[in-house]
Amino acid sequence: MVDWLTMLIQMVSLAMAVWCLVSTFRDQPMLVPHLVGMGVLWLLVLGQVGAMVFAMVGGDRPDDLAMVVSYLATVALLPPASAVWGFMERSKWGPAVIAFTCLILPVLLVRIEQLWSPVV
Amino acid sequence: MSDTETTPLPPDRTLRTGPGRLLVAVYAVFALAATARGAYQLVTRFEEAPLAYALSVFAGVVYLVAAIGLARAGRTSRKVALVSVSVEMVGVLVVGALSEFTSGIFPEDTVWSHFGSGYLFIPLVLPVLGLWWILKVHRADRAHSRE
Repeated sequence: MVDWLTMLIQMVSLAMAVWCLVSTFRDQPMLVPHLVGMGVLWLLVLGQVGAMVFAMVGGDRPDDLAMVVSYLATVALLPPASAVWGFMERSKWGPAVIAFTCLILPVLLVRIEQLWSPVV
Repeated sequence: MSDTETTPLPPDRTLRTGPGRLLVAVYAVFALAATARGAYQLVTRFEEAPLAYALSVFAGVVYLVAAIGLARAGRTSRKVALVSVSVEMVGVLVVGALSEFTSGIFPEDTVWSHFGSGYLFIPLVLPVLGLWWILKVHRADRAHSRE
């Protein structure tokens, strides 16, 4: 697990959440800049997931392999799925969807980190 | 509800738009979280707490049905959503109370234990919001079809 990448993803994700919450309260729908932001976040997440898959293929396996793989699949799919779902809504509730997923993404990363290197 | 209500709903009044959009997203995430966690624990540690893990899977399935009911947003789907969200409301209250006042029935935590405190009490708030939204759409629909 690339630690600085996790930190960066969490910060970008929280920034996206704040931005989308502001959009929600200002009654704005999701616009192209929001989509670009989600795209950047997705690329970062894919980078992290890729690095972890590479490490696992290389033999660095966590104890709870199935759990880690399912969490990785979830975080890899969450940004595009929520972006599409939010972009379909042409009201302030679109960014609200993104804000929600951007708030749980850092939590999911913390869980992955715990599974990857458990503190005994 | 009578059979004369065949007028298609205006897009802003269906279940999946507006606040419903966010509700579906939250329900989908909870469906995934509860089902995956419960199923994994049932498979790997069934003998430790079969009831608690089975309950997690059940909760996950209820969330999934509610998410689909809200997302499909037809008249039948609305009933499905109403029933599943009600089951969820009863579930979180009963399981929450049981886990709070008795011990031993659910040795392992589930989504609904202690009124969902492990999940920021979202499981407690979610069915209230869900019921509010379904009833609001239902009323708007009824008013609309009377016009």
